[in-house]
Amino acid sequence: MLSPTLATLMTSAGESIPGGVTPIPEAAREESLAWAGLILLFPAVSAIICGLCAACRVRNRLPGWTTVIALASSFVVVCLLYGQHQAGQPTVIHLFDWINFSWGDGTFESVRANFALYVDDLSIFWMLFVTGLGTCIAFYATEYMDDDRGKGYSRFFAAMSIFLLAMCSLVLGDNLVMLYLGWEGVGLASYLLISYYYTRQSAIDAGKKAFIMNRIGDLGLAVGIWLIWYNFGTLEYDGLFQALNVYLPIADAGNLPGTEIGQPQLGWSAYLIPWFLMVGAFGKSAQFPLMTWLPDAMEGPTPVSALIHAATMVTAGIYLIARTYPIFWLEMEAGGYALATVGWIGGFTALLAATIALKQYDMKRVLAYSTLSQLGYMFMGLGVVQTFGACFHVYTHAFFKALLFLCSGTIMHGLAGQLDVRRISGLRMAKGWKVVTWCMFVGGLWLAAFPFTAGFFSKDEILAQAFVQKGPGYRALGWIGIVTAGLTAYYTFRVWFRVFGGRTLRIEPGPEHHGDPSSFHPHPPGWRMKSILILLTIGCFAAISTGYWGIGHWIKGMVDHSSAAWGMPLHWEEGDIPFFGGDPHWTMYFVSGTFGLIGLAFAAYFHLINRRSAERLDELFKRNFITNLIPRTLERKWYLDEVYNALVRIPTYLSAKFFYLFDRLVIDGLLVGGIARIPMFLGRVFQPLQGGALQGYATTMAGGVTLVVVWMIWVFLQKGGG
Amino acid sequence: MLAGLLLGIPILAAILIGIAPSRLAKWLGLLGALATLGWGVVFACLYPYWSEIPSEGADLAGYWPVDDGWAVIPLLGLELQLGVNAVSLLLVLLTCLFAPLVVLASFTAITERVKEFYIWLMIMNAAVIGVFIARDVITFYTAFEVSLIPAFFLVAIYGGPDRREASFKFFIYTLFGSIIMLAGFVYLVMRFADSVGGWLPSTNGGVNVWDIDALTTYAREFLTPTEQGWVLLALMLGFAVKVPLWPLHTWLPLAHNQAPTAGSVNFAAVILKLGAYGVFRFVIPMVPEAVVVFAPYIAGLAIIGIIYTSLVCWAQTDMKKLIAYSSIAHMGFCMIGLFALNPIGAQGGILYMITHGLSSGALFLCIGMMYERHHVKEIERIGGLMKSMPVWSFFVVLFTFVSVGLPGLAGFVSEFLCLLGTFVGSTENNGGYPGVLGPWYGIVAGVGLILGAIYMLYLVGKVVFGTENIPEHDHAHESSSLPRDLNLREIMTLAPIGAICFFIGLYPTPILEAIEPAAEHMLTAYPELVAEADQRQAGDATLTTEPRPTLVSTTWGDLP
Repeated sequence: MLSPTLATLMTSAGESIPGGVTPIPEAAREESLAWAGLILLFPAVSAIICGLCAACRVRNRLPGWTTVIALASSFVVVCLLYGQHQAGQPTVIHLFDWINFSWGDGTFESVRANFALYVDDLSIFWMLFVTGLGTCIAFYATEYMDDDRGKGYSRFFAAMSIFLLAMCSLVLGDNLVMLYLGWEGVGLASYLLISYYYTRQSAIDAGKKAFIMNRIGDLGLAVGIWLIWYNFGTLEYDGLFQALNVYLPIADAGNLPGTEIGQPQLGWSAYLIPWFLMVGAFGKSAQFPLMTWLPDAMEGPTPVSALIHAATMVTAGIYLIARTYPIFWLEMEAGGYALATVGWIGGFTALLAATIALKQYDMKRVLAYSTLSQLGYMFMGLGVVQTFGACFHVYTHAFFKALLFLCSGTIMHGLAGQLDVRRISGLRMAKGWKVVTWCMFVGGLWLAAFPFTAGFFSKDEILAQAFVQKGPGYRALGWIGIVTAGLTAYYTFRVWFRVFGGRTLRIEPGPEHHGDPSSFHPHPPGWRMKSILILLTIGCFAAISTGYWGIGHWIKGMVDHSSAAWGMPLHWEEGDIPFFGGDPHWTMYFVSGTFGLIGLAFAAYFHLINRRSAERLDELFKRNFITNLIPRTLERKWYLDEVYNALVRIPTYLSAKFFYLFDRLVIDGLLVGGIARIPMFLGRVFQPLQGGALQGYATTMAGGVTLVVVWMIWVFLQKGGG
Repeated sequence: MLAGLLLGIPILAAILIGIAPSRLAKWLGLLGALATLGWGVVFACLYPYWSEIPSEGADLAGYWPVDDGWAVIPLLGLELQLGVNAVSLLLVLLTCLFAPLVVLASFTAITERVKEFYIWLMIMNAAVIGVFIARDVITFYTAFEVSLIPAFFLVAIYGGPDRREASFKFFIYTLFGSIIMLAGFVYLVMRFADSVGGWLPSTNGGVNVWDIDALTTYAREFLTPTEQGWVLLALMLGFAVKVPLWPLHTWLPLAHNQAPTAGSVNFAAVILKLGAYGVFRFVIPMVPEAVVVFAPYIAGLAIIGIIYTSLVCWAQTDMKKLIAYSSIAHMGFCMIGLFALNPIGAQGGILYMITHGLSSGALFLCIGMMYERHHVKEIERIGGLMKSMPVWSFFVVLFTFVSVGLPGLAGFVSEFLCLLGTFVGSTENNGGYPGVLGPWYGIVAGVGLILGAIYMLYLVGKVVFGTENIPEHDHAHESSSLPRDLNLREIMTLAPIGAICFFIGLYPTPILEAIEPAAEHMLTAYPELVAEADQRQAGDATLTTEPRPTLVSTTWGDLP
């Protein structure tokens, strides 16, 4: 098996291997930083207060403001922690014991998973935007959820706080079990918030689907965690990384750890770890094949879609892989294809989701599919060993996608739940919608990776690397990414042009409007919503400078000082593989920019300049059965739901019904019932013996005596006749 | 006297209820149960683990004799002794905790033959506590069997429409198992008495042949592998029915379903634990050589049980039955944890007994409260209770997530440790810790996590969420004094369990530390045996066929 490793790459280039990898630094134990635990404590307290508010039927805005203040405080503490943090030096802050016991002093004789924080650049980076965006979106939600005061307001904010609590423990935890705690915790929050409108059947189903599909991924993550203990005897990152420090240089030198005598032993099952972790990541980040829950999750209130299902929670999969990247790296050095699979699944999902988004009419669904697609890019970045690009894209995506969702939230809020792009037009002309119009425009540009926007830089970082890194079909993967970029620009601006463009203002109110549709007037967002939109727009612009210009390579520095880059060979330099006659990092700007502009132009033509032509095109497709399949398949999301239903859900349910009957009829009926009949049957057999007739008793007695006598003689003979 | 009071208080309460007029019955019941709980807590505080840290010489693993023997029948050498270790203490506390909660939950539900009801409840508590604090086989077996009687009457008198069938089936089924178990005990004791030279401490040099610890040490060292195998089968049959292990489980859904709320809660919270406790106390430490051979099969049955019953749960139409079946699946996790035969799984399995008692008992309480209001248990006939019963819904959702093992709540810690112990219990491939199960067992059992989420969320989605659907005949029962949502009494019933679930989920350390010596004690014989079995499995030809050296120094001189 030929490996796509750098060792091979370097050898083929005729260079000597200097050997050595960047060692993973041992974490410092800092008890004095225990105040960092406040990051977790604030949302926890807020969740409790909101819960109490719910119990006391509080009707004012107390839960909302409590949440905002708590999250803002967490953000401040994160900033303070960042100030204390030394770049490249991970720190472990022990808060209190959780699962902690040992039965010996050896490596494989303890299970330790405590409430402790692993603070390094990666976790701080993640925490900064998680708590920052969380605060913004909670602030936005105080206005968005206003109508629900006294109904679900407290419940909503309690779940938001639980979400932030779980997300913080996911990111900051110093061991995989605490990550798992956060992992399932965000799943819980997501479930509660998707099912927020609990009287709607679709919302309940969507919540259930999200939780169960995530559980499938969680099992993968759990198995990965068990395998890590199985192979390394630890569950803590620090212990794991120190163990890997032993194996990585061996693997880098071109040997499989454990194949030569005298080397530290590592079983083959260690190379399965990335595959299982990957399943967990795909579940949480909604990648193929565990992707169908995310679009349905849009049943939740829009701030939730923005925070959980676009900006933060769904990036947990990226975080997991970036955090455990040395294991993936080890597997790759050993000749495995785990990273390649991550990249390919990402690329495939990116394309698949982008095609679906072309034919969706619900604005939030389009955005949901674009989230899937963008997450696909991030996984592609991880796969092609561009962890910086992946994390940078997580960061920019968090801003522009949150912005887009919040904009669509104001539309939904103002138009009585209307989200169908066919039923809204020319919204820019409505009174009080200027801010939304242009904020959404900026978000759209960033998503469409319009040249010189943040999304453009972060995406190109990934795409260019696909052409640099050697791997199975990575060039094709790069092209898939480029095509997807074009599609992205098209579907994003299809929405924007449809909703805000057009010559006249034409709105059909949504299902929540009762009364005469002609008397309907959209009510524009208030100052709280608007201020957050503007703030996020500023954030989008800031994302350019933090990642690229201005402050320079701030994010690159953060990512490179973390496990997302540790363990890689010191000698690794990018190969010189030309792309359109130049360095891919340079030429990619033009290539992907061109594709983006083409997509934008198509969207402008069909949905702004000449809308009739779009309809005509539709009719053209509908004319015969074969061509009609294309739009129909896209509209039906490639029939993925139907396929899963037929292949997984229905067989499982049928087997459930089968076992249900089996339990009643066979185990209980035949076996237990049958055995229970034996005494009854025996009773029937011997009943005549006790019929009361004297002869019968005599016969029985004679028989019994004979038996006893025979037995006694037999025993006597057995014992030797004396 | 210390431990004796744990038995004495509920029995005294039962007598008092019998004497006093029946309108006082429930208050006396509550008082008796609270007194039991109070004494249980005091008793726990007196346990040397907490009172003398770090205690020198206090053998925490062994059984702390809290009472001197009562020489009941000195001629037969019957010296009954009571005592606890950390595990039995925790189970005693669990029983004590549920005693007042169950009484509280029955305040309005039981309106006929009230006196008897509370008497049976008190006797049930006494019997179950007796099982946990027994130090000799006779007390253990007696209490084990006596606990059937109150359970039988609780189902037969206060149960649902099929109560006769349910109670008889339950009684005969479990009796059948425990009679065979009795045969196993009799064999063990006879064998022991034969070896040491008689029943009487005076003739055999002061050995109490009924003592469980002495018996365990004897059996572990001197029973031949074949004998161990038979003893294991006999004991396991008795305990497997109680656990219950697939396919011996069919008594359980029926009994749970037909029992009144108090009965179901007691079944789920404590009666099932008798089986698991037996496995912990007898099977694993007593017959290690047989356990090493049989563990994969028993774990196999447990895993079949997990998958099978989880699927059956999904097809259920009755809420109580659904929770009952889920108990079987959960106890399957407990079993694989115990039979993983390593410290991780053992700790997980032991903790699982507690956490399952909490979650499952609490869910039965919730359903009972709903049933009192709407008189419906069918999932299809009721829905959307979130609107009219928000507090109740909160508790249902909370305990649902305890039950599916959400991290941060009690269920997770034990489930995770059970599965981790099962998964890593194999030294093939240079990793893990000696054990006879291994990754495949862990992965297949792990599918139960997914199925668990499916059926529990199915229940929540139908009953708690959704459009409001309350059966018509509800209005006929309007006369009942209960408010629409839970009243304070009912909240007081559920809240302590919820608080404990959070506590164990977030800070299990004290419990894990306390049960650790007991878990090690249970596994005394295993590291070597399991390592051997592992090697045998891996086809290691270098394995010596010499007889294994005795593990513990012989206490009885040179025995056969």
